[in-house]
Amino acid sequence: MTRHLSPAEISKWMAGERRRQSEDHLHECADCRGEISRLQETLSDFRASVREWSHRESAAAPLPVRRASGVLVASRLRWALIAAAMVMLAAIPIYRANRHQPKLESSVDDAVLLEEIDESVSRSVPAPMERLTPLVSEGSTAAGSQTQRKK
Amino acid sequence: MEPVAASTFLTASFDSAATELDDFDALVRLHWPAVFRFTLASVRDRDAAETLTQDCFIHAWKARAGFRGSSAVKTWIMRIAVNLVRDHARNRRLRFWKRTTKEALEISAAGGRLQDGTISAEQRLLISEKVRAVWAASGSLPERQRTVFLLRFVEDMDLLDIAAATGLKEGTVKIHLFRALQSVRERLGEHK
Repeated sequence: MTRHLSPAEISKWMAGERRRQSEDHLHECADCRGEISRLQETLSDFRASVREWSHRESAAAPLPVRRASGVLVASRLRWALIAAAMVMLAAIPIYRANRHQPKLESSVDDAVLLEEIDESVSRSVPAPMERLTPLVSEGSTAAGSQTQRKK
Repeated sequence: MEPVAASTFLTASFDSAATELDDFDALVRLHWPAVFRFTLASVRDRDAAETLTQDCFIHAWKARAGFRGSSAVKTWIMRIAVNLVRDHARNRRLRFWKRTTKEALEISAAGGRLQDGTISAEQRLLISEKVRAVWAASGSLPERQRTVFLLRFVEDMDLLDIAAATGLKEGTVKIHLFRALQSVRERLGEHK
């Protein structure tokens, strides 16, 4: 029997690099077969542990979206939310403009009203009599001059 | 047996894959556990693994029109998962190392022969220590070696499928696997 397989040769064999020489040796050598078998068993235990752990973790926290349609729904929902947010952002200036417009109109109305009030307050005579004012002043002027002439 | 023309075979496999992709719900149900397991074992963080798994299927859904059936659907999906894990690992390297020790303790406590009631407490302890050593060793491997190691020894994929999933040549996969096994065996040597 040839020498035992080296650790590197065992790793190569396990990695899929199976040379004829190594295979021949394994047929004859129970020690090397045992070494590989123990390594395979440990790796198998590791696989079982990872699978068990993964199963446990998966079950402990149910995934929010498990089905493909759900994945897509989540994706579509995300886009719908983004679209809604954009619409809301776009609507803010319009809302503000609409909100400020009545104020503007009312402030314009107020200004006009105040002007009217000022105007009416500053009037010496009521508006309906305004047309007569020039005549009255002219009349009074004419009367005054007549008085002066009499003097 | 009559020889089957290559074009016939390719058309048939493409049709089969296309059908599998059409029923995306079934595809997710079928492959979700493997993708989650691989991402979980790679990043060792449940929340990150969930996110990566979900991202993987969203990517698959978006890219399904480009799938030409050159590999099995599972291999194609695992390739997406491998890429996502690689990107994640590059961004979160530091956090990964911090988690390794804690998770090594959790993972060694369950699964396989450890659940077998016929083995003695001493054997159970020995197995547990070995599993913990493999877990710790796999955590210290470079990213590509770890990916290849997990695909081979956790997902039980053959070398050609691993090559397709990682985008590496079969020879390169063997080299990464060899180096990973050397590291794992060195670590196991401490527990003989």
